[in-house]
Amino acid sequence: MTIEADNFSKRRNTLLSRKDVFFIALAFSIVALFYLLPPPDGLTHNGQVMIGILFMAAILWITEPIPLAVTGLMIMIAQPMLGVIPAVDVFSSFGNQAVFFLIGAFIISVAIEKHGLHRRMAFKFLSRFEKNPRIFTLGIMFSCALLSFVMPEHGVAALFLPIIVSILIAMKLVPRQSNFGKVSMLCVAYGCSIGSLGTLIGGARNPLTIGVLSDIGITVTFFDWMKYSMPVVFIALPLVWLVLQFSFPIEIKDVTMAKKEIDNQLAIAGKMGRSEVLVLVILVFTVLLWIFFSSFPYLGLAVIAILGGILLFLTGCISWKDVEKRVPWGIILLYGGAITLGMSMQSTGAGEWIAHLLFKNVGSNPYLVIFAIIIFTILLTNAMSNIGAVAILLPIGIAISAEIPGISPLFASMIIALSGGLAFMLVIATPGNAITYSSGYFSTRDLFKVGSVSNIICILVIFTVAVVYWKGILGL
Amino acid sequence: MFENILIPVSSEFYSKKILERSVFLAERFKSTINLVYIIEQKTLHQTDKISDSFRTHYNRLETSNDIIKKSRLRVDNIILNDAKFFLKNKEIPFKEKIVEGEFSNVVKRELDENNYDLVLMGFEKGCILNYRLLDEVNVPIWIESDGEGKSILAVCSNLAPNQKVPEFSVKLSEDLGWDLHMLYVVDMGDSVEVDETGQRSDRKSEKDLIFIGENFVEKMREKGVNARLVKGGLEKETVKAAEGIGANLVIVGREQKKKNIFGLPVKNVKKKIAEKCRYSILFVN
Repeated sequence: MTIEADNFSKRRNTLLSRKDVFFIALAFSIVALFYLLPPPDGLTHNGQVMIGILFMAAILWITEPIPLAVTGLMIMIAQPMLGVIPAVDVFSSFGNQAVFFLIGAFIISVAIEKHGLHRRMAFKFLSRFEKNPRIFTLGIMFSCALLSFVMPEHGVAALFLPIIVSILIAMKLVPRQSNFGKVSMLCVAYGCSIGSLGTLIGGARNPLTIGVLSDIGITVTFFDWMKYSMPVVFIALPLVWLVLQFSFPIEIKDVTMAKKEIDNQLAIAGKMGRSEVLVLVILVFTVLLWIFFSSFPYLGLAVIAILGGILLFLTGCISWKDVEKRVPWGIILLYGGAITLGMSMQSTGAGEWIAHLLFKNVGSNPYLVIFAIIIFTILLTNAMSNIGAVAILLPIGIAISAEIPGISPLFASMIIALSGGLAFMLVIATPGNAITYSSGYFSTRDLFKVGSVSNIICILVIFTVAVVYWKGILGL
Repeated sequence: MFENILIPVSSEFYSKKILERSVFLAERFKSTINLVYIIEQKTLHQTDKISDSFRTHYNRLETSNDIIKKSRLRVDNIILNDAKFFLKNKEIPFKEKIVEGEFSNVVKRELDENNYDLVLMGFEKGCILNYRLLDEVNVPIWIESDGEGKSILAVCSNLAPNQKVPEFSVKLSEDLGWDLHMLYVVDMGDSVEVDETGQRSDRKSEKDLIFIGENFVEKMREKGVNARLVKGGLEKETVKAAEGIGANLVIVGREQKKKNIFGLPVKNVKKKIAEKCRYSILFVN
């Protein structure tokens, strides 16, 4: 049977809609307003303009009339154009080693995807959880999380979509009507999101955070990051899984068909080829280097990432064509914009001024502040791209930490970075949600229902880990 | 009555009951079943747009192809399998195709290009269903839902022309052998009378509207139809009456209800009925 395309339904892709033009005009008007109005007491003119640019970024990242990366570029050029920061300083943010870490990590991910190593790992993980339907869904969640430790979360969601749909079809389970289908797909979405908190590779917001921190003289190594984030990952994963089990009780009793499908896929994949083995060896080598040698005075994160990338070229595992096909360069531009935003918010005193304003109205109880930061970050990340939400909140969080005794910049940044990855409630919140939603197995209502409960659970998990483990045990 | 039945199945929602019902109707009316599986373009675009900066064009194309491939696999392995099961040992002409597009647009195009007498579809609250479809299409739309009984509730009101519904429901109840209950709702939430051509009158008093309704009910009773009159909101009374008689099918006509709260139009009446009613609904425009 062939698939027809309904040409009547095709959208115009070239021109901006009226709504898009409205949001762009609104964003520009706000910058103009902040530029023209006299600044209030305690805020410099440059600081006020930076707050205007922050609002512009927030509007454009939430409503997305233009690609996220273009907003990143706009943030960069707006600053020298409005006389806030010289162009040299703005573009120097691309010299941050986190940018090159991101590029190296993307190249390694290209090789994993090209040779199907991720697919093999996914099936191997899943085959360990074939005991019963509930354990199988736990397996999906853990497999997605573990893979999100070594490659970007969106890639993992895209990998698992066809795998899980094939299994559900083999089990003759119908979209929307099967709770096992709902739970399986939501386990992919949430497993990827929670797993992406674990290492610096899972989400681009993680390198962004260490980039912003390195600008204020705080170094976070690959291992440090894991030390802070892993408790959150391994506590949140089973709790969110439990929420899914209670929300959608699974109706099937056995997973024989799933087991058959997995065995079948593993048989099709056959033995590991030479290139696949090489990619695996280089991946393990790179991760070990990151864990043991990324701190000062050793190699640093970016050098190791680029080294791993170059080894893949030297061994012939990938070509430049593969990199062109699969590396999302837009995110590097988005990253550049985000990091300059943070830098300039601090240097102009805008972040500090916003922090003062917040204390005047909210008070300065550190526990209340921590709680408020987590809740606000999770709400914002559900409404816009994760990296955008983290980029907007990091400078404010760092400024807040300077005002409250007991909260360090590292502590505030980690809270924001980890909360920023937990966009569970809306389809538009993160590509992982959108990709799994396209399977048809759950509705927007299902996502919101279970996502809001899971978000509340994760707020409590981050708060507890932050207060008890980071502060109490690690002394962060 | 229904020679050519169109069954649009969205990639968002599929229920076996639709096929079961289509086979039931096809046997009664010697119809041809035309199944169109629609891969929702909106879902594909949404995934694409949100992934814009995070995944390359190549990656996104791969995912989009995966979604299309799996949708096709789902049609082959589940939907066509179900169809085979229901059509087994029955000589019912069956055609199927897969279209990538937006549900309402695909249905409208199909209706423009072919001669269908009935659209039979499933519905779930969370689906991306364009409700305009219910108003803009002249072919009856049957939304299959639960309900095991053998009775029809036909709904007329001061807000509908009440031309097609009585005629259509009497014929359908005869052909299917189901009991017919007719309800005339005097809806004072929008106190006008809609005439045979669909024109709305000026506001009328409750007494006048009840008088018109009673005349209608009397006329129906003379024809042997079990009809009654109630006063209240069209949506609420329809759902209440359907529950009361355990209707298998509720037939609703071209209502013209216009109600505003602070100048803002309230939810589409058909949408409200579709969302609240637990029984199958047949919209006859």
